[in-house]
Amino acid sequence: MGILNYFKPVSVMTAEEVREFLKNKNPGEYNLIDVRQPLEYERGHIPGAQLIPLGELRDHISAIDPSKPTITY
Amino acid sequence: MEGGIRAWEGLVAEGPPEAGTVYFPDTAGAKELIGLAWSLEEGSRRFYSELAGVLSDEEGIGIFRDLTAAEEHHKDSLMDLLHNIAGAESAADFPESLADPDEARDVMEGGMRISTALQWAQGKPLGMILEIAMSLETNSYDLYIKMYLKIEDQRSRNVFGLLAGEEKLHLEKLAALLERKI
Repeated sequence: MGILNYFKPVSVMTAEEVREFLKNKNPGEYNLIDVRQPLEYERGHIPGAQLIPLGELRDHISAIDPSKPTITY
Repeated sequence: MEGGIRAWEGLVAEGPPEAGTVYFPDTAGAKELIGLAWSLEEGSRRFYSELAGVLSDEEGIGIFRDLTAAEEHHKDSLMDLLHNIAGAESAADFPESLADPDEARDVMEGGMRISTALQWAQGKPLGMILEIAMSLETNSYDLYIKMYLKIEDQRSRNVFGLLAGEEKLHLEKLAALLERKI
């Protein structure tokens, strides 16, 4: 990843904005990624969220479709 | 998402990433997946039907009757899909030919055993029953989204997408009633 990517702004959405977004989209239209640890995911996650712990993102980057908006939490 | 999961005040699903997907093995073809989904829908139909029969709250009875009808509709959608994929002859002995009948009859969406859920619900207030129904529907919604994203066959994918959308509507109805009752 080039150094300039570190300066690329990342949009932040409030939980309410995420809720509204998910309500109006089909699951195939976005990537919803839970970057926490497996036990945290098990205890409770947003329905449909895919678990990719933060430390493993690089190894599983191919699982994230770059043509779709990606929401992480 | 700002604030992470702590800021999320909506419904959450529980369980590991593979939860529920055990009902839909990777080796299963479209026909088997439909059969498995049908069994889960039938389980939920039975659960909601039983609940409608034992509750005394009119609104509660009404919503569980609606959900019973909705699950029946889901089963019909799955049967239609099976006809389209495999033809009428293949559907003749459906779904008994696809799953262990005794096992399949006691399981519903969300993975809970019907007998366990009904026993738990005995004497419980409507609010608690609505909460458990929402928990089950949320886990079911979570599962159907995962299956929609996982499956490659477009026809099966469409069914899971449809089922996920329906579960979302069920959740909205249950949440609206719970809000009125608590």
